[in-house]
Amino acid sequence: MTTDHTDARHQFEASLDEVKMGMLELGGLVLENTRRMGEALLENRLDLARAVIAADEEIDTRYAGLEYRVFEIMARQQPVAGDLRFLVAATRILYEIERSGDLAVNGAKGLLRRDGYTLPPQIHSLVARLARGSADLFADGLEALRSLDPDAAAVIDRADDEVDSVVGELYGLVAKNSEDIGFDLAMELSRIGRYMERIGDHAVNIAEHVAFVVTGAFPGKGSAATRDES
Amino acid sequence: MAASEPGSAIQRRVTIGAPPERAESTGDTLFAVRSLAVEYGTFRAVDDITLDIGRNEITAFIGPSGCGKTTVLRCFNRMNDLIDSAKVYGSILYHGVDLYGPRIDPVEVRRRMGMVFQKPNPFPKSIYDNISFGPRIAGFKGNMDDLVEESLHRAALWDEVKDKLRESAYALSGGQQQRLCIARAIATNPDVVLMDEPCSALDPIATLRIEELMVQLKKDYTIIIVTHNMQQAARVSDRTAFFTVDVKETGARTGRLVEFDATGRIFTKPSQKATEDYITGRFG
Repeated sequence: MTTDHTDARHQFEASLDEVKMGMLELGGLVLENTRRMGEALLENRLDLARAVIAADEEIDTRYAGLEYRVFEIMARQQPVAGDLRFLVAATRILYEIERSGDLAVNGAKGLLRRDGYTLPPQIHSLVARLARGSADLFADGLEALRSLDPDAAAVIDRADDEVDSVVGELYGLVAKNSEDIGFDLAMELSRIGRYMERIGDHAVNIAEHVAFVVTGAFPGKGSAATRDES
Repeated sequence: MAASEPGSAIQRRVTIGAPPERAESTGDTLFAVRSLAVEYGTFRAVDDITLDIGRNEITAFIGPSGCGKTTVLRCFNRMNDLIDSAKVYGSILYHGVDLYGPRIDPVEVRRRMGMVFQKPNPFPKSIYDNISFGPRIAGFKGNMDDLVEESLHRAALWDEVKDKLRESAYALSGGQQQRLCIARAIATNPDVVLMDEPCSALDPIATLRIEELMVQLKKDYTIIIVTHNMQQAARVSDRTAFFTVDVKETGARTGRLVEFDATGRIFTKPSQKATEDYITGRFG
């Protein structure tokens, strides 16, 4: 009896670990795609843009599988307290990760429509900062999940403010140079800048869900994605 | 049934501990339990229990076997008096009056605190007589038919039994018998209904009916329920008390209160690790 019980509980804990590992691996794939999309933009590499789109299928499949796994664990284990917080947060974190993956794909699709451009040096360096900034934020969000650090959200939120100001700068610069670089490319750069900035917001959200897992409460400001949705 | 038990005749020595603290009369507190301890002979079953039971609320007691939750429940209607070696320390203030005070009549206490037990235990009598027995003993002078009907209505059993009131209670299903016991407990017009694992012998559908009934009953009564079913505590109760058992080097096992909070809080973010470990099944 006791052995069975302990064993069942052991399996339950193992299944929670498995979900966490699955989320980190999924996040790793999205991080890779985010970096690839930035590089494709900066280097005008259509092959990388296509690779981003191709990799998304695997991301979607894994996302659906993990989401179902969480759903099934909830139905079968009726979790409470810390287990419940983790699983509820897992559904949200999975969403944040999957959305980020879609944003990378959106950027890649935009690039395929704008073949053969050259970015003026000033814009190039700003886009490089933005690409690095958003990928770093996403990596930090995943690290918060890995270490279950409830304090990471505040740090990531501050770094996200920095990325937000870079994208603001980019909008201004693109508007000023829209005649030189062409209206279509200007629009595309604005859109891709927006996608990158949004990936940063999702990273903040991931860290906030982690804080919820650990403390049972959301850090003060509420969800960055919701906040900036309008 | 407890409320009709001729308890005073078998009242045992009850030791009253230190004088009670003043009850915080918030108006919402029905019982103020203060430093309650129970001993059976030299064995201290529970120690240092302090909590407030809210009026018209359902309070659930949960915890592993031997944690003293049933022992504490039995203090509210002085059922422990019926055990020869039992001694109760501390106090339970009810409307500000100590239930263990020197002038308190345990029979009157039991009339006010109806009790429902784990196994449905109707008397070997008709359905009607199961309900009328307690009030008759208590000297009820009103219309018994009305009282029986109203009690069965309140226990959500009337429609099922109205055409067979003279039949034996034993002919009812387990779930119906348990609702009959609830009807019997409320027939003497108690203030409180104490329930000791009232659904552990019932199937899920009968359990659900009792749970629905509890939620209805709390409009008129204060309910304290001991349950091993944590989902049940989570579903029906307003506040949950988690008890655990400490094992001393001597092997003595004493129950204590670990945490008492709003049920929503207990099942989402308990403040004590021992509570979290228990409700998430990380014990043993």
